[in-house]
Amino acid sequence: MNKGLTDEIKVEVIGLTKKFGELLVLDDVNFTVRKGEFLAIVGPTGCGKTTFLNLLSRLIPATRGQIRIDGQEADPKKHNIAFVFQEPSSLPWLTVKQNVEFGMLIKGVRADEREHRLTRIIDLVGLTDCAELFPNQISASMEQRVAVSRAFATSPDLLLMDEPYGQLDIKLRYYLEDELVKLWRETGSTVIFVTHNIEEAVYVAERILVLTNKPTTIKAEIQVDLPRPRNFIDESFIEIRKQVTDLIRWW
Amino acid sequence: MKTTMGHTVSVHAASHGNGKGTAAHIGKVVKNRYVLYFVSIVSLLVIWHFSAVIGESSKYMPTPAMVLTELWRIAHENLAGKNLLGHLWSSMHRVLIGFAIGSLVGVPLGLFMALNRYLNALVKPIFDLFKPMPPISWISLAILWFGIGEESKVFIIAIGAFVPALINSYNGIRLVDPALYDAIRMLGANRWQTMIEVTFPAGFPALFAGLQIALSVAWSCVLAAELVSARSGMGFLIILGMTMSNPAMILSGMVVIAITAYLITVVLSNVEKWVCPWKVELPQ
Repeated sequence: MNKGLTDEIKVEVIGLTKKFGELLVLDDVNFTVRKGEFLAIVGPTGCGKTTFLNLLSRLIPATRGQIRIDGQEADPKKHNIAFVFQEPSSLPWLTVKQNVEFGMLIKGVRADEREHRLTRIIDLVGLTDCAELFPNQISASMEQRVAVSRAFATSPDLLLMDEPYGQLDIKLRYYLEDELVKLWRETGSTVIFVTHNIEEAVYVAERILVLTNKPTTIKAEIQVDLPRPRNFIDESFIEIRKQVTDLIRWW
Repeated sequence: MKTTMGHTVSVHAASHGNGKGTAAHIGKVVKNRYVLYFVSIVSLLVIWHFSAVIGESSKYMPTPAMVLTELWRIAHENLAGKNLLGHLWSSMHRVLIGFAIGSLVGVPLGLFMALNRYLNALVKPIFDLFKPMPPISWISLAILWFGIGEESKVFIIAIGAFVPALINSYNGIRLVDPALYDAIRMLGANRWQTMIEVTFPAGFPALFAGLQIALSVAWSCVLAAELVSARSGMGFLIILGMTMSNPAMILSGMVVIAITAYLITVVLSNVEKWVCPWKVELPQ
């Protein structure tokens, strides 16, 4: 499906464990992500999805276990890990365009390359018209698109997304999910997408990891081999959705 | 009247006027913001005038017209070697020097305190002790230390401006949205980049608001200092009016002070729009 997709392992998570004091939140999680794969992680509310992502991004340290990118211990200084937060996180004093460019500036992307990617991505997500506006002048969905574009523009080794569309209305979500898939295919990025919305997960991902309640482990792994663009009312789509729903409901 | 309260005015007008068109028109005029501003100011002047004319107190209460005449007089006549503009400049001059000193010390100190917790732990207890003290309470000491010249006034103003300048730059930096830090750290920024790209721009609006407060505090400090001892300035004019039993002169001074303070606010809010363009929202 994705041209960049190979069997090459991009991310390896080995025995990842996290304790907050005595509270065991994450218990011995193991999985791998292939290069260019779109992986969704779903789980019951409060199962520690955000903690999970924060560990992967190295925002918080793990109690035990390893995260390897390209065979090396993950390190934000060395590897290009991007994060799209649940809350809009664009910088209020930069315009839309400057915000999208910002990540590349921090990463030290060359000026001509920066300009090239900027034009392409802004065009791709339809932000051209509001490129010169400030974040408080655009809607919440636009702001989230800015954050998504900023992340993709850095061409990350690993892109982590924490329910980026969780607060948007349903109609807009379909549109943004299509856009996300488009960006992913264009850039060939490796994406880990966390959500509690099962339909969303089935719609965007190639593979879904289902988490258990706390202490969190991986309960099941489901391949989503559906052609794109996917159809919500397609029989096979509904079947996978039902399968994931049942997994979450009956732990 | 059958209509809702909101339409009372126009319906009332209609019953006396020439039909609905005129009524709606009058209603519109009555509700116009600027018309109301005008009504407000004119009523103040009218009440002022009549309260000055009627009663025993008229000796101490000049009418608006008398104040205007007095303003014209002191604008052209020299009082203690200076006309109105000269005195205004004397005060302004002190404000600017004191404000510059207070903010040049307060802002960097506030920034360093927010960025370094050891410095913060050293300075904050002292600062918290002095903070609630009104700057004017330093007047007597200032005069003892620096005499009745310019230095004592500038000292009071500098202290007055220092406090809000420090508090706001300190809080501006401390209260930066942590999500912004997460966002830039995720992008792999180092400490320096984080400071330059996030901490300072995010703290700037609060810092600037602190400077605005500092300037208005400075302006009230200069008056207090001049009321105590001065040979020039707006505070001096007011005191002169008192010693000469000339209430019109006192009120003239007060009017000029009010107008100046208002103009400073207008200028600063325009400067803010210029330095923080991203704070401006689109008109609805």
